Amino acid sequence: MIQQTDLDERRLVEALKRGDSSAYAQAVSQFSPGMLAVARYYLDTGSAEDIVQDCWVTVIDAIQKFEGRSGLKTWLHRIVANRCKNRLRSTHREIPTDFSERLDPELASRFDASGRWATPPKLRFDASAEALLENEALSNCLDKHLAHLPETQRSALILYEAHQHRSDDVCNILDVSASNLRVMLHRARQKIFLMVETFQETGQC
Amino acid sequence: MLMCRELAGIASDYIDGELTTGRNLSVKMHLMMCRPCRSFIGNLRTSTELMRRHTASHVEAAVIDRINQRISEALGARPERKD
Ligand SMILES: [Zn+2]
Repeated sequence: MIQQTDLDERRLVEALKRGDSSAYAQAVSQFSPGMLAVARYYLDTGSAEDIVQDCWVTVIDAIQKFEGRSGLKTWLHRIVANRCKNRLRSTHREIPTDFSERLDPELASRFDASGRWATPPKLRFDASAEALLENEALSNCLDKHLAHLPETQRSALILYEAHQHRSDDVCNILDVSASNLRVMLHRARQKIFLMVETFQETGQC
Repeated sequence: MLMCRELAGIASDYIDGELTTGRNLSVKMHLMMCRPCRSFIGNLRTSTELMRRHTASHVEAAVIDRINQRISEALGARPERKD
């Protein structure tokens, strides 16, 4: 059975191939957040935006050859990743990686020597994610903490969580091993867990 | 026996269904007996869902505007296609 989303995507791709400007506007707002997440993984914010802009211009011609084997989102994210990797090759910029520990240091400090909880989690968060997000202060706090995450963790998070890429796609786009991706996700989730707990307990961000 | 610290380290894999059957079973066993870890897993799930919803569309409108600007310039400069 053909999914509705596949059908929508096929229509969108056809419109892009025709050079339909409203199709481009739709695609830009739909796909740019993920493309920027990819670019910011590799480059500073300014260069990342430049690369994404350049990629969109390339897409105008490249889309003619797009056959839909990989899905538009994955295709776009790969174009961005490849450009960033080429840019890095020319400037020899290293991608920082620290994957030695699965636990965030703050979380790790909450266990005793035998590996039991010394400072156990406070009670269960009493509301669903949806209900929690209605709290504007918490939402702002989340923004602040996401902004403080290392770029690598934030990008992995955005691609995996928000854009629902499969793990192997994320690994391919970000050039990390599956186990490194897992560690980035662990660490990012743990940080957000600690943040929400503090917020729930003290009302402070 | 799986300790709480170890469980916390693989909790994220557990949530995503990335553990082997044996590991998965030992997490389940531990959770049956350990209330703090049940809270931890529940809260980690909520945190994950929170991020999923929150990060979905987070880009400044100005950035999108600049991209649209570049595209309309590029589309305008393109030779007409004969269809
Ligand atoms: Zn436990």
